[in-house]
Amino acid sequence: MTQTTAQPTGGQELAPERVQQMKDPRRPRRGLGFPGLLMAPAVIFMAGLSIIPFLTLIGMSFSRVRLLGGAALEWRGLDNWARALTDPNLWTSWASTVLYFVVTVGLELLIGVGVAVALHRVLRGRGLVLSLVLLPMFVAPVIVGLLGRYLVDPTFGLYTNWLQAVGIDIDPLGSPVTAFIAVALMDVWEWTPLITLITLAGLSGVNPSILEAAALDGASRTRTLFHIIFPSISNVLLVAFLIRSMDAVRYFDIITITTNGGPADATKIVPLRLYETAFRFFDLGYAAAIGLMMLAVTIAMAKVFVRLLDRKGLAQ
Amino acid sequence: MTLSRRSLLRAGALGAGALAGGGLLGACGSGSQPAPVPEFTGGDEWRRFAGTTINFISENTAPTAAIAANLQPFTELTGINVRIVNLELSALVQRVALDLASGQSQYHVIYADPYQVLAPYSAGLADLREFIDADGYPPLEGGLEDFIPTQLAATGTFEDPDKVFALPYDCPTMIWQYRQDLFDAHGDRMRDDLGFDVTPGMERTWEEFFQIAQWFNAHVDEVVAGVGTQSKQHDSLMCDFSNVLWSYGGEYFEGGSEIGLRGATDPGRSLLASDEAKEAAAFYQRLVGIAHPGSRSWDWDGVGNAMAQGQIAMCVNWHEFASGNEESLPGQVSYAPLPHGPARSSAHFGGCGIGISGNTGGAERGAAWLFVNWATSPQTQLANLASAAGGGTPTRTSVYELPEVQAAEQRPSELPNMLTGPTMEVAWRDDVIGLRPKIPMWNECDTAVFTELSKMLAGQQQPAATMDGLARRIDQIVARGWQA
Repeated sequence: MTQTTAQPTGGQELAPERVQQMKDPRRPRRGLGFPGLLMAPAVIFMAGLSIIPFLTLIGMSFSRVRLLGGAALEWRGLDNWARALTDPNLWTSWASTVLYFVVTVGLELLIGVGVAVALHRVLRGRGLVLSLVLLPMFVAPVIVGLLGRYLVDPTFGLYTNWLQAVGIDIDPLGSPVTAFIAVALMDVWEWTPLITLITLAGLSGVNPSILEAAALDGASRTRTLFHIIFPSISNVLLVAFLIRSMDAVRYFDIITITTNGGPADATKIVPLRLYETAFRFFDLGYAAAIGLMMLAVTIAMAKVFVRLLDRKGLAQ
Repeated sequence: MTLSRRSLLRAGALGAGALAGGGLLGACGSGSQPAPVPEFTGGDEWRRFAGTTINFISENTAPTAAIAANLQPFTELTGINVRIVNLELSALVQRVALDLASGQSQYHVIYADPYQVLAPYSAGLADLREFIDADGYPPLEGGLEDFIPTQLAATGTFEDPDKVFALPYDCPTMIWQYRQDLFDAHGDRMRDDLGFDVTPGMERTWEEFFQIAQWFNAHVDEVVAGVGTQSKQHDSLMCDFSNVLWSYGGEYFEGGSEIGLRGATDPGRSLLASDEAKEAAAFYQRLVGIAHPGSRSWDWDGVGNAMAQGQIAMCVNWHEFASGNEESLPGQVSYAPLPHGPARSSAHFGGCGIGISGNTGGAERGAAWLFVNWATSPQTQLANLASAAGGGTPTRTSVYELPEVQAAEQRPSELPNMLTGPTMEVAWRDDVIGLRPKIPMWNECDTAVFTELSKMLAGQQQPAATMDGLARRIDQIVARGWQA
């Protein structure tokens, strides 16, 4: 006997097409279906918020955008993309972005973990010290930029005066190398506490019995740090690295306030060039191409991190 | 519903196709005509739009600070409410461009920087002759002829001289600002050492200016340096350098000063690779080399602060810094036209006008004109000059002819900005005033200029290579053309 119906739920008969679909799950179902209907409002909302602007951005990257009389696109084919790929100034900005990323995130990780390990050993007044350490993180980046600018101002800046007092007569924001260092340090000052905070959370999860066992076995502090503590908190550090990396690629505020990309383009990282192209030159088609390049890089970075997290079983 | 990758891609392609056709973006604005201004039915012309509220978007400049502090007379005269949005210039340009693109008119009166707003978006501004020549509006006192002609052309027109898109509103111009007390104290010795008359003025050459600065560095301890420059990678660097460029006979484009006065969409080939331009760049590099160490990170505010704090003996800066100087160093700062180079003396003009968004319609359009008329009137300009909130200097000749204004050119002065009066009379002469190119793509050219100069000042490239590279870059930018 050939069975034409199935009775998987309480003896109710299923329609023939449903049965066919169960037999061949690759066959597409027609209509939205109940789950589709449930998802529809959220999908429409998401489309309004991000998918339509994203598609618009793609369209803009192949066009020249006119503003007057209502924004309009004029098809330009691959012009903007060809320009982006051959623009030496843009590639210089990418190089600055990479350098900036390595310096800031690298220093933040080194100092942040160091401070966290030191703080973890503090038993009395840790709360107070931690509050003080975390303070910079709660200042708006624009304010950090303004503070930094005033502190290194060549006319009345406190740090500049200190440098002059010890015979170093420089304007920190006036030369490419010192300006780069200055803005990188401002970022490090603001965001190192975040790494400290996340690392501290990780440190509190290290199994004390393992540490005791290591101590009993006579392991030195350095050995304990590198062979027990760091491997135990590596997952947490990876998350901290991910968070800061995503931020570093989009870095904008402090540089805009302090150097605006100068001197000699030394601090003009890609977000600044994107902003300048879009909102100073109003070359929105080219800016869209740069923006999509940034998006691609960010997605690639995120994929690398997700893969790493996945390998450690943290992405689920 | 299962969304396969294929269907997602298909939907994306359809969406992108629609966008490429301008469908969705086109919906962002409309090209419809603004509503007509209501007919005048008699009565007081100043009060015909009473009860209307308009928005004025302005750069945070001295005249706007003065007007914002004293709007009551306008409201009493017209019954119109004015909301003022004060912004830094680049933020203003963004908002104006996006407002014009929207097809709406969030901002009715616009501070129309000639290079960043007027040139690229003149098609989005109303031609003010529609009001100047019309009945039913109070007359423009003194007519257009009362405005300083060069300033009217530079700040109010673009390509077509018959259309007036803005009325001159402010007129900052770069002049030589120096510590009179230091020149008095050390002038004789300086003259003996250097072998020429050191009195600041256009009789001096840029080379002599350099030597005076160097002399201050070597012999005067009251200041950190003889000169400060505004050489940050910023618009200020282009402004500062342009004085030297024009003095040495250099030009940005083949069209020369006409491009600055009338404006052009196609200014021709860049002349920045000329020998004159290269000489100017070489001199400027030498000058910054002996300037206050902070010069490379100063814009005009930075150099203004340094002057006010007594760190430098002289600088080139906008003349409207005079009132601040007088407050910080009363009686100690004097003013002169800039030195001359092989070709001429040149004073960079940075004035702007105010105009009306072309999208403004109905009573707001008429009210906007009444505000533009009032804000640029001789009475308002005189009030601005005396304002405690700052105030600029007038753009009308009739104001300069007033006895109280002329008296203020000497100390003690009730109107400290007028201490620059005799200098400005020279600086605004047709053969002296320096006008940067009024082209729609100037923002990008400007950025290229100050970026490449910044690289030169950082020692990354030589002056000749800098100017060669700049000329090529500017030609590329101009070749892309402009469509607003």
